[in-house]
Parts: sequence; C-alpha cells; structure tokens
Amino acid sequence: MTLLAILQVVILVLIVAGSILAVWLKDLLASVIALAGSSLLLALQFYLLQAPDVAIAEAGVGAALTTAIFVLAIRKTQRKEEE
Amino acid sequence: MRRWIVLAAFVIVAGCLLLGGARMRPFGAPRFDLMDRYFNAWSQTETAANNVVTAVVFDYRGYDTLGEATVLFTAVIGVALILRRLKR
Amino acid sequence: MSVVVRTIARILVPVILAFGGYVILHGHLTPGGGFQGGAVAASAVALLLVAFGAPSLKKLKSPLSVLEDLGGIAFVVLAFLGIGTTFFFNLLAGSGGLFGAASPIGPNAGFLNTGGTVPLMNWAVGFKVLGGLGAVMVLFGLFGGDDDR
Repeated sequence: MTLLAILQVVILVLIVAGSILAVWLKDLLASVIALAGSSLLLALQFYLLQAPDVAIAEAGVGAALTTAIFVLAIRKTQRKEEE
Repeated sequence: MRRWIVLAAFVIVAGCLLLGGARMRPFGAPRFDLMDRYFNAWSQTETAANNVVTAVVFDYRGYDTLGEATVLFTAVIGVALILRRLKR
Repeated sequence: MSVVVRTIARILVPVILAFGGYVILHGHLTPGGGFQGGAVAASAVALLLVAFGAPSLKKLKSPLSVLEDLGGIAFVVLAFLGIGTTFFFNLLAGSGGLFGAASPIGPNAGFLNTGGTVPLMNWAVGFKVLGGLGAVMVLFGLFGGDDDR
C-alpha cells in the first residue's frame, strides 16, 4: 500500500465522519460547517483522482455557494434544531 | 419483519458494491478506450484547444452544454418567480 | 457581520474575482472552464452577501439577471456561427483571426490566441453562471423582509 492510497483512505473516512457529524449535530450552523468541510475533502479526493475540473467545480459550488445559501436560510429562521 | 427486510436490502446492496469494487479494473485503464484515443489524437488539430476536457465540453459535446445552460436558466426563472416581492 | 469580516471581505473580493477571471480566460489551456470560473466568481457575491447583508446589494439584482440572459444569448449565437456545416461547428479554429492561431501538436504549454470559438463560449458560459448563481443568492437574501440580527 503506497502513501497515496493511505492518504485517500484517510480522506474517505474523514468525508464519512463529516457527513455523520452534519446529520448528528443539533446546532444548525455547526452542521453546515461540517458539511462544507466534508465537501472540501471531497474536492481534494477528486484532485487526487486526477480530475481537476471536477475538483474546481466541487470546491466552488459545494463548499462556497451551498454554505452561503444555508447560512442565509439559518439567518432568516432559527439556529437550534427542535425535537 | 420490517427489520429483516431492511437487513436483507442492506446485505444485498453492500454485497453488490463490494463485488463491483473487487472486480474493478486498474486506475486509468478502462475497458473501452476508442473515444479516448480519438480525442487525445485529434482534439488539438480539430479544435486548436490544448485542454481536451474543454474541447469535449464546448465542441464535440456542445448539445450537452446547451442543455446544462437551459437547466440553469430554468432554475433561475423558477427561483425568481417563487421569491418575487409582491407589490401591494 | 462584524468589522473583521467586513474588512477581510473588502480585501478578498477582488482577489476572488481575479481568480475566477483567470480560470475562465485560460479555460482552453489549463484545467477549468466557463462553469468552474463562473462558480468561483459567484462565491465573491456570496461573500459580499454574507458580510454586508442583502439590502445593500439590492441594486445588484437586475444587472445579474441581465448578465445571465446576455450570456445565454451569446452562447446560442456562437453555436449558430457554424450552422453552415453543423450546429456547434468550430468555425474560427485555425482561421487566423480572433483566437484563430493553430495549436502546436503534442504536449506543450499552449498559447492564449488558440481555440476558435471555445474561449468565447467559455466567457459566455462564465458570465451566465456568474449572473445566474449570483441572482439566485441575492433573491434568497432579499426574501422575507429584514434580517433579525
């Protein structure tokens, strides 16, 4: 197993951990930040798989625009999730 | 009963994914590479663009980009219709 | 938002717009293209929206919509340029005019003056994506009246 394969496995585990954290957290702003981090790690994984076009698109749309729209929606509504 | 159905579905889907991952070809060696070799050989003379991905997106598969632009246009029209400010 | 966020946004917005313009301009030479550069430039609009609030960007809504329409029209017109052969035929490639130089064959760094209609379509799609995503975000920010903080 080379170093690149170990790095890819670490990144995939961190993506799954970030997604689970985004579902599990009750503070919606922290949940959105966890989703943005997961999306940024997904862009890094695309770059390691030699697809830089998809990596730029994923970093621009997934990490920046989606986070901005969620932050605007949280600012209009409430921050804590209700049971 | 419902728990067993969920467990069976999980086992079947995970088994299919693991089987597909185990029989995967090595990275960068697809089974059918006829169009890959054509684009790599001819895109510089036919479109004069060095980036083969951009040559495919904007020249060889231009209809696809036109459809994507139409999807974005329709999405913007829908958002502008729903979120418009009504004059009172 | 606070003073720190506003100051850093004022510094960062020209840098983000310049990087988006670079990705669109070199779309036929380096990784990237119209959609990617437009999305990067639209993230500058998102930063302005989060830092300064939506009501200060209200006059930006109609120019972004007009930009989106102009980009779509320019894309279809460039596609109709080669209707003599087929739809989406690259008429300007190798013709010697604007973006008409022939590209050297083989692995090389490339020249900016190549590509035919591909760089022009990159600019059209880039402005279209910037206008569309920016207009959607400004509309989201303006919806529902005033902010509560």
